[in-house]
Amino acid sequence: MAADSTLIVLDSSQRKRSDRLGERGFLYVTLAATLVAVGVLVAIAVKVFDLAAPAISKFGVGFLWSQDWNAVTNRFGALDFIYGTAVSSLVALAIAAPISIAIALFLTELAPKWLRTPVGALVEVLSGIPSVVIGLWGILVLGPIVESQVEPFLNSFLGWIPLFSGRYSPVGLLPAILVLTIMITPIVSSISRELLSRVPKEQIEGALAIGATRWEMIRGVMLPYVGPGIIAALILGVGRAVGEAIAVTQVIGTTAGIRSSLFGPADTLASRIASQYQGAVSNLQVSSLAYLAAILLVLSLLFNLGAQLIVRRVERSRG
Amino acid sequence: MKKRSFVLGAAIAALGALALSATAGAATTRKADDSLLGGGSSFVSPLVSQWINDYGTKAGVNITYGPIGSGAGIAAVTARTVDFGASDAPLTADQATACNGCVQIPWALSATSIAYNIPGVKNNLKITGDLVAKIYLGTITKWNDAAITALNPGVTLPDLDITPVYRSDGSGTSYNFTDYLSKVSTDFASAIGKTTQPPFKVGVGARGSAGVSGIVAKTSGSLTYVDVAFALKNKLFFFAVKNQAGKYTLPGIKQIVAAASTVTSVPADNALSIVDPPKTNVDAYPIGTFTWIITPKSSKKAVTLKKFILYAISPFGQKLGLPLVFAPLPKVVAVAASKTVAQITQG
Repeated sequence: MAADSTLIVLDSSQRKRSDRLGERGFLYVTLAATLVAVGVLVAIAVKVFDLAAPAISKFGVGFLWSQDWNAVTNRFGALDFIYGTAVSSLVALAIAAPISIAIALFLTELAPKWLRTPVGALVEVLSGIPSVVIGLWGILVLGPIVESQVEPFLNSFLGWIPLFSGRYSPVGLLPAILVLTIMITPIVSSISRELLSRVPKEQIEGALAIGATRWEMIRGVMLPYVGPGIIAALILGVGRAVGEAIAVTQVIGTTAGIRSSLFGPADTLASRIASQYQGAVSNLQVSSLAYLAAILLVLSLLFNLGAQLIVRRVERSRG
Repeated sequence: MKKRSFVLGAAIAALGALALSATAGAATTRKADDSLLGGGSSFVSPLVSQWINDYGTKAGVNITYGPIGSGAGIAAVTARTVDFGASDAPLTADQATACNGCVQIPWALSATSIAYNIPGVKNNLKITGDLVAKIYLGTITKWNDAAITALNPGVTLPDLDITPVYRSDGSGTSYNFTDYLSKVSTDFASAIGKTTQPPFKVGVGARGSAGVSGIVAKTSGSLTYVDVAFALKNKLFFFAVKNQAGKYTLPGIKQIVAAASTVTSVPADNALSIVDPPKTNVDAYPIGTFTWIITPKSSKKAVTLKKFILYAISPFGQKLGLPLVFAPLPKVVAVAASKTVAQITQG
């Protein structure tokens, strides 16, 4: 019986027909899936720009450097939120980058073998915590610690820099930066770990064989090999930070304005959209929020394209 | 005129009772129509919960209410994803247009308290609207400012920075608060104005009553504004606020009733404001507000919806508000509300 069916399948004419059908069906299914993904992206972009059109035509490019955000006078501008987004995500990245790379190096090279898998898994679990939970923890635990410990500490050493002066507060830029750092770190460290584990064994062993110390090997062989990949990982991390709305809204103090201190409140593009879209009082405000969304969309596209370009260039140079 | 409104008031009471009895009979033969979905104001949410328990059970109507904030409630009813929205601020012109044939009906009355967290001082310190305006404009920055200490002899106020905390989401409480401050301070009116989303330059923002009171609880020297029921429930300290008669009043039923008693007529769109009422009523608390239910004029659930609203504005519904610091609607307002209910038609 089994032999019979095998014979039937192997019959050349039937095999060709079924293969042709299967092949074509497979093509269509995968094509459809891809088209849906592309279609959704296009549909979102079209809708956002369509919604933003009145604000774009009213405020023009000047929207990007206007500091107005006033639902009463109906004048809107994005500069405060672009500033808040840039500072919160870039500082978070500056903190997350060395920590993430250190974690990745520890877990691929330095940690004892039995420790690597469980600790690596734990770090990755961190990236799975919903942002609203991290935000809640930010309000209840992190904020008060920042106010009572971190800010006084920074102020006592670096108080002469305006960034680290001013009134201590449980909500503001600094708690937002720390929340974002916590969100970026597991992403960057797990990608970096993956990259580091792919450094060819011969190169590592070769370096060690000619008498390099472990640190010299890491600096001379591993980091140059994975450098561009880590940069791409960092860009992806920034993309995550730039787009994060809920956790940031909960701890940043959602107040427009550019302040010299990291202790004061601020607001980001995503956070402003999340907190005001539903309560928008005028059509122009809805449209201006969509304009913010358009800026955010363009930014995240640029970040993703940037990361992909770097990865592609590296792959090409390695042949 | 007065007599007529009394008769109409009695008629509303009768209608409310009728709605109760009529639907109580229908409870056994429940139809798909017997459910309502609403969302909006978190301010009115404790009272709506009471109504849902009381009326919903008696009338066999399954009512669900989400306290998602006034702004979100308006957005939801505009999108027709709910049968009714609820807001503590009247619709703006753009919102009314977008809502495409909605009516707003006053269905509850309460007040906004100004809560504070100053270590080591007693409850119910005295304050004036003008000083609150100055605090939110950033011109008064310390709790021991001479202007504040002068109002509170015998109280030692600390040399502590003031952190004003405000709502960052679209909020009817923000509207009530800025409506009041705009009335008592011309500086505030020109710098900020009355709005559900005040563009404050100082202080920190947070989402929802829970968000702002959470920050106030954790920040010494902070103050914020929340509905009085919320302040009481969370044991926040709040100010006695000076009214036009020069008296410092607390947000209680008596003081809210006094403020609302100054209403003599209701505009066609029911957009009433009772902040900073004239001094004819010496007990009036100056930051009172009506809150509104917003429904499409043409609703698929018109019958169920109308019965529910008539119940809510009837004495049966209104009396449930007393323990939650919701004062009963004045007759003239209840009459106007019932007239608006009559405009809702089956769609």
